[in-house]
Amino acid sequence: MSKLSLENVTYRYSVGTPFCKTALDGVSVSFEENRVIGLIGHTGCGKSTLVQMLNGLLKPTEGRVFLDGKDIWENPKEISAVRYRVGLVFQYPEYQLFEETVRQDIAFGPTNMGLPQEEIDRRVEEAALFVGLEKETFDQSPFELSGGQKRRVAIAGVIAMGPEVLILDEPAAGLDPMGREEILGGVRSFQKEKKSTVIIVSHSMEDMASYADELVVMDHGKVARTGSCRDIFSDRDSLLGYGLDVPQITRFLIELNALGVPVRTDLFTVEDVRKELLRLYPSLAKGGKR
Amino acid sequence: MITDITLGQFFPGQSVIHRLDPRTKILGAIFYIVIVFLAKNVFSFLLLVAFTLFLVLLSRISPKVVLKGLKPLIIIIVFTAILNLFGKKGETPLISFWIINIYPEGIRYAIMIIIRVVCMLAGTSVILSYTTSPTAITEGIERLLSPLAVLHLPVHDFAMMMTIALRFIPTLIDETDKIMKAQTARGVDFSSGSLIRRAKALIPILIPLLFSAFRHAKDLSIAMECRCYRAGKGMTHMTTHRFGLRDYLSALVMCAFCAAVVLLNKYAPGFSL
Ligand SMILES: Nc1ncnc2c1ncn2[C@@H]1O[C@H](COP(=O)(O)OP(=O)(O)OP(=O)(O)O)[C@@H](O)[C@H]1O
Ligand SMILES: [Mg+2]
Repeated sequence: MSKLSLENVTYRYSVGTPFCKTALDGVSVSFEENRVIGLIGHTGCGKSTLVQMLNGLLKPTEGRVFLDGKDIWENPKEISAVRYRVGLVFQYPEYQLFEETVRQDIAFGPTNMGLPQEEIDRRVEEAALFVGLEKETFDQSPFELSGGQKRRVAIAGVIAMGPEVLILDEPAAGLDPMGREEILGGVRSFQKEKKSTVIIVSHSMEDMASYADELVVMDHGKVARTGSCRDIFSDRDSLLGYGLDVPQITRFLIELNALGVPVRTDLFTVEDVRKELLRLYPSLAKGGKR
Repeated sequence: MITDITLGQFFPGQSVIHRLDPRTKILGAIFYIVIVFLAKNVFSFLLLVAFTLFLVLLSRISPKVVLKGLKPLIIIIVFTAILNLFGKKGETPLISFWIINIYPEGIRYAIMIIIRVVCMLAGTSVILSYTTSPTAITEGIERLLSPLAVLHLPVHDFAMMMTIALRFIPTLIDETDKIMKAQTARGVDFSSGSLIRRAKALIPILIPLLFSAFRHAKDLSIAMECRCYRAGKGMTHMTTHRFGLRDYLSALVMCAFCAAVVLLNKYAPGFSL
């Protein structure tokens, strides 16, 4: 049984006004347990709308959403329990901070859940560790932090709620390369440690290639394809058709290949490509540092 | 959700009303409100309703949308009507029950209030707010008030402030929606609990919202200065409206409508409300 699934979900914004807009159109997709799933698609294809379906922030216009096989809208009064189990970090979450100190802001979610104080403290520290937030910042005001640090506080605030499913909408957008790696790596280790399900929305094929186990490709309000990174990235033509592309390093291989160098073109991370090039040119290894 | 608010929203279109000069529409809306309060008997009220329907059809805005725009105000309308129903005293009560007396005058008055308020809201919406872009409205206001600039009143600044305020209403509504969702995802519950609990639930919304309003103000002022904005003198509009045949004709129609209402009030037999 899959952890989370959508069955024929359609969602329309502003129903009954001239601005009515179908953002999701009969989407059926399921997310399996214990892995990182990447959600990709061109701008405006409905990714953010889809993830808001998954924790009951938006109610499907048509169709149903299942968590552990149970329809989450079966009893609308219990929807807040679903929100504790499925944690959602929004696009640009730094604008939702409001408490006096970082510690209080991270503790906001767990406090709302009514956990005992020691448990809250434990979770705050654990969550801060995952996102790489230093202890010195704990007593600062969140408004004094840099954009990247604010982002970490916001993500920690959701991780501290201990969700079974963690969803992040473009968690690394607008961060420096180190920051991206720290945040995504932290999320990856959170997933490994808790054996939870993590869904990451991203526009970066490179990040997806290195952090996601599976991909869901969206196109114009529909799920176009699902599969492993290998499945999806091996088919460049259809990706181009969805307004996406393969990771840059793969494009590099494809161009090399076209120039007559006999490299494989089905590798997607820098590390794999390094190994492949060393296999082809063992002499390179002597000069290189690594 | 909160983004479904339609009252005061602009629906782009190409109808006759859409294409009128904003000054015509502002003056027309004011004139229209005056006429609504002039109507006094059954016949002038019928004409009023017919004319309002005519305006709605003319604006090519779906009547459903107009009705939906009235929805948030239903409570106020019903409340005023009920107050009048019980408040108005006449000669012989129609219904007497405990301490409540309902007179025929009260019923008539309540109906009249409902018609007046609904016509006024629907009419001004289709004349002005649904069919005129916020920039056109401010352009209209600025030009109508421009004679006051002679008295050294800051008409331009006033218009600019209004444009900016109007411009940011949808942005702030969107932002409120986003922040509300984000805090809901962190376990805030806005719809249950005691009054104090609900008031407390507003803090996580209001602080980020205020913060972003200040951020917008700062960003906007810097952006305006970067584009060499200097208030007042010498500023022109990208598109300027001019009075045309359409505008004169609509002025004529409004005057005819007003005259008809006044005449019906005076000469139509009986039934005065
Ligand atoms: N509040 C809203 N009201 C009306 N339409 C909306 C609203 N939010 C999104 N939409 C529309 O729904 C569609 C899907 O939007 P969504 O935000 O889900 O896209 P997205 O895939 O997350 O895009 P991006 O990659 O830019 O974040 C878009 O066409 C958008 O215009
Ligand atoms: Mg999005």
